[in-house]
Amino acid sequence: MTNHWIDIANSDCILIMGSNAAENHPISFRWVTKAQLAGTPVIHVDPRFTRTSAKADIYAPIRSGTDIAFLGGMIKYIIDNNKYFKEYIANYTNGAFIVGDKFSFKDGLFSGYDAEKRKYDQSTWAFKMEANGMPAVDKTLEDPRCVFQLLKTHYARYDLDTVSSITGTPKDDLLKVYETYAATGVPDKAGTIMYAMGWTQHTVGVQNIRCMAIIQLLLGNMGAAGGGVNALRGESNVQGSTDHGLLFHILPGYLPTPAASLQTLAEYNKKYTPTSNDPLSANWWQNRPKYVASLLKSMYGDAATPENEFCYSWLPKVEDGKTYSWLDLFDSMYQKQFSGFLCWGQNPACSGANADKNRDAMANLDWMVVVNLFENETASFWKGPGVDPKQIKTEVFFLPCAAYMEKEGSITNSGRWGQWRYKAQEPPGEALPDGDIIIELFNEIRALYKEDKEATFPDPVLNLKWDYISNGKFDAHSVAKAINGYFTKDVTIQDKQYKKGDLVPSFALLQDDGSTSSGNWLYCQSYTADGNNMARREKDDPTGLGLYSKWSWCWPVNRRIIYNRASVDLKGNPWNPKKPVIQWVVEDGKGKWTGDVPDGGWPPLQNADGTANDKSKLPFIMKPAGVASIFGNGAKDGPFPEHYEPLECPVEKNPLSAQLTNPVAAVYGTARDIIKTCDPRFPFVGTTYRVTEHWQTGVLTRWLPWLLEAEPQLFVEMSEQLARMKGINNGDMAIVESPRGKLEAVAIVTKRLQPFTVLGQEVHLVGLPWHYGWTWPPDGGDSANLLTPAVGDPNTRIPETKAFMVNVSKKEV
Amino acid sequence: MAGKSFFIDTTRCTACRGCQIACKNWNQNGASMTKNTGSHQNPPDLDAQTYKLVRFSESVDKNGKLAWYFFADQCRHCIEPPCKDAIEAYVEGAVIHDEKTGAVVYTDKTREANFDEVKDSCPYNIPRLSEDGRIVKCTMCFDRVSAGLLPACVKVCPTGAMNFGDREEIMAMANKRLEVVKAKFPNAQLLDADEIRTIYLVVDDPKAYHDFAIASAASGIGRKLAMRRMTKPASRALRAMLPG
Amino acid sequence: MKLTRRDFLKISGAATAGLALSGMGFDLRPVHAFSMELRTKDAKESPTICCYCAVGCGIICHTSTQTGQVVYTEGDADHPINGGSLCAKGAAAYQIAQNDRRITKVLYRAPNASEWEEKSWDWTLKEIAKRVKKSRDASFTAKNEKGLVVNRCDGIVSVGSAALDNEECWTYQAMLRALGLVYIEHQARI
Repeated sequence: MTNHWIDIANSDCILIMGSNAAENHPISFRWVTKAQLAGTPVIHVDPRFTRTSAKADIYAPIRSGTDIAFLGGMIKYIIDNNKYFKEYIANYTNGAFIVGDKFSFKDGLFSGYDAEKRKYDQSTWAFKMEANGMPAVDKTLEDPRCVFQLLKTHYARYDLDTVSSITGTPKDDLLKVYETYAATGVPDKAGTIMYAMGWTQHTVGVQNIRCMAIIQLLLGNMGAAGGGVNALRGESNVQGSTDHGLLFHILPGYLPTPAASLQTLAEYNKKYTPTSNDPLSANWWQNRPKYVASLLKSMYGDAATPENEFCYSWLPKVEDGKTYSWLDLFDSMYQKQFSGFLCWGQNPACSGANADKNRDAMANLDWMVVVNLFENETASFWKGPGVDPKQIKTEVFFLPCAAYMEKEGSITNSGRWGQWRYKAQEPPGEALPDGDIIIELFNEIRALYKEDKEATFPDPVLNLKWDYISNGKFDAHSVAKAINGYFTKDVTIQDKQYKKGDLVPSFALLQDDGSTSSGNWLYCQSYTADGNNMARREKDDPTGLGLYSKWSWCWPVNRRIIYNRASVDLKGNPWNPKKPVIQWVVEDGKGKWTGDVPDGGWPPLQNADGTANDKSKLPFIMKPAGVASIFGNGAKDGPFPEHYEPLECPVEKNPLSAQLTNPVAAVYGTARDIIKTCDPRFPFVGTTYRVTEHWQTGVLTRWLPWLLEAEPQLFVEMSEQLARMKGINNGDMAIVESPRGKLEAVAIVTKRLQPFTVLGQEVHLVGLPWHYGWTWPPDGGDSANLLTPAVGDPNTRIPETKAFMVNVSKKEV
Repeated sequence: MAGKSFFIDTTRCTACRGCQIACKNWNQNGASMTKNTGSHQNPPDLDAQTYKLVRFSESVDKNGKLAWYFFADQCRHCIEPPCKDAIEAYVEGAVIHDEKTGAVVYTDKTREANFDEVKDSCPYNIPRLSEDGRIVKCTMCFDRVSAGLLPACVKVCPTGAMNFGDREEIMAMANKRLEVVKAKFPNAQLLDADEIRTIYLVVDDPKAYHDFAIASAASGIGRKLAMRRMTKPASRALRAMLPG
Repeated sequence: MKLTRRDFLKISGAATAGLALSGMGFDLRPVHAFSMELRTKDAKESPTICCYCAVGCGIICHTSTQTGQVVYTEGDADHPINGGSLCAKGAAAYQIAQNDRRITKVLYRAPNASEWEEKSWDWTLKEIAKRVKKSRDASFTAKNEKGLVVNRCDGIVSVGSAALDNEECWTYQAMLRALGLVYIEHQARI
């Protein structure tokens, strides 16, 4: 989230699309309802009428997988009806940038496409550069090659008739949504978007979100209270686990994983440290070398020196251009490439797309370690449905871990708040906190490497800093301090002295010479000389906007709304004076920002008399150009979002272009990867989702009697029309089948699902929750991911589990 | 009229079922191994372990507009509770009708009452028979309320659908909200507000929410109750003598 | 016997006011609900944050000072996001803390075995460490095909976890990277 949960109450229009917030983030509705009571319209766009739709002022149905068509139509509406915020676009986005001559878009393909490699040459999307090394701009937005004009041309094709024929959304509903949301394009209003996996889990996932980001920029909604782009993240600490780099492509703090071609730290820094010739660009990532050096110091302590490039060579290097994502991981496991598997607090036998492929893959391992609270389908895959344990050689170690109230530590919510949790009881039996398991396991591994003088490359194993134990137990405070970071020697910075061992007060003080350590620069300030800021419980709210700046702590540097310098005009006055996130106040001739922590303390772009202030910086400080990207030339599938059908879809043509599906989507080729488009055996669109009462694969919630009682079994929701056609009655057992798997589910026949009219044809959609699995309860059903395809977005490789094709029939008894 | 009341604003209920679970948590009630019967409403009805149940009902208006109504069903804590008369026809003192709050609370002595008659007496179909023979239902969390806490189902509610407080304040809140909601939903109404302490605001025909959303004509506050009152003068007279 | 309110309060021990008894012969071991107040009365309160979605609602765990066990959980009324409220899942936190289906012993499944066996932590961690070392050393790639130093372990992979605390996440990634793993993934990408 660029903003945070409470801030939703500040919104002038709430669009819930790609999420079912009332069911999956129920407490968000505390703030949605508050806004609604104050007159804010709430819009829900979703394939199903859900508990969210039931509370919305406007509900619009949409066929799953067609969000870019829907949103592209909104972009066209905003431009055609002059609803955009021109001053904001011209000054705070790349809307005024001139795109280079090599860029083109023809019939669904952008320039630079290599059909053989299924890849774009992104260099053809570069901006036209001036002699001074800065992009050419036209702030009138009238140059036909400026981003704004190209955007206008790109979405000219997305007229109401075409959009409606793709999405199946009635034209009246499209218009109602467009009009209501576009009304936030005036300076003093902000609309917000609440999205989740309904947008990400598509082969166009990144572009779904890019499309909405473009809308937010056209309307000037970024940085403002009640605005922003807000991902409703689905796990209590998925923000923190991402921040801390438990992913193949990033180290902690969003530092790219080093690749083989970057043999030295100098090469790494050169590649990943952007430069800008614009004196108004803060270009914050110019600090990256400080963050990398500090990370390596925190990992390798005294062993990391400037002379050895802080042990950079010890970091594992990925192959250039190779992806090691979830889908790749299980694809390679299926192809017998691994011997060992650590599965910590996850249940891939149910949570992964094409789950049966994952279940099969685990049989190819020598050993695996599963850490969890309850029995689950991954740990017990060797005795699952249709599996003969005697044929499965994989050794499995099940390590029972503590529940969250049985240990101490912090987690980071969707609004980036790091919040401290306390221990309320001992874990049951011999269960241990995960931290203790990690520490003890590595101690055992390290002991073996100490003993074995012939061990392979022992240096990083033997030298990893590993002193996080107090009284024989994992000490979360000790790690939290290491993540924040220390001064490693006595230093003086801007006349202030810091001693070796002092906690670094803020990431602005981190250094690239080894004089500081920080496990994650983004968390620098979370645990300082003032104490554990994540444990703060003060409830001051001086702005009245619900920032609660002294409750817990949020990254970066406790800034509650990021990009907040875009919430003010060029002179530092809030676009919306009633809800000022920050404001430039001049007292006794001296100016300062009040309100939230600003995105840098530089003065506004203009002085009070309208002259430019050369000490200022542009608001989007993480972007090298200092402005936000309407034209996103870093995405792998194009600088503008374009509608493509899901890889499995119910239509044979795309009325917008000759390109039916995303030309660079990630696909896999094992015998288990079967994709069927327009196959009469699988005529219905399938989608998956969650309900309030369960969480993810149900790995916890299926074992809680109160929740299981409320949602006891796998179900499949379908329209009355489809049920009639298939002779299925409400409550019957139905069979749902995809090219990859088959499930039995209780039919919920409901008016809340309606067929869509797509290109003149009736298209039915059915949906199932993915909470269930065969271990518990009896008759609970199995995972809906047995049906979903392991195909991925080209940027993130997130699987397309929200739109695929199935058949439905009545189970004969 | 003094005492406490609930105001349940169904327009704000998202059916998150926090209340259904919080009720079980406070009352240490268990759960049954249910089946999905083609509905998200589960358990299908109130039972001896479920004093609070969120009911789900789909409804289409004459313009074809779909609504999904959520009705957090519970004891209404009647001003004149007919169940008390039905129970105390068999055993005196089995029901506490707390004067300060107005809570209608069953004791273990309800074991000695005739459950069918008690159930029939309730116009809202609330009382349930537990396995150990007690008749059970929502207690208005009167132990919590007496300690200055909100009922568990009210405290847990994220959207303000569940409200609780002094009768007068709650009535004022309900009437004020009714006025606002009426602008958009002309059929909005408060259900049986003068008779009970659990006041629902609905925007449609109450039957579209639940068969027993309003007092059922088949039982309860109608003729049957009047009969009971006539036949039970002793208990009523007795109550009047007790200290308050 | 006729009870006055004062009598009742004295006997029940509830620090409450306002209960009047409308019947005669009131049973004093009676209403199930009466014992509830005692459940949290002397309990220690520990703030925590819900483990499910990323709204980050505050929860208070009440721990019995006698048994050390969580006896009740409820929304943290001071928490600015949820203000004491919770959804169905958050409201069921108690059944995570008190649940007889929790796995309480290390389990081991031998190759081709049909059952789990219970094992000690000491044995288990030593055995896992042996396998980690064996797999790592056997699959370690010091240089890639182009002769570039890559120092990575290609034979072990990890998934997890957004269910860990930040401090555990960081420590875990440090361990994995020290071992040279590159297949490191978790819930964020699925």
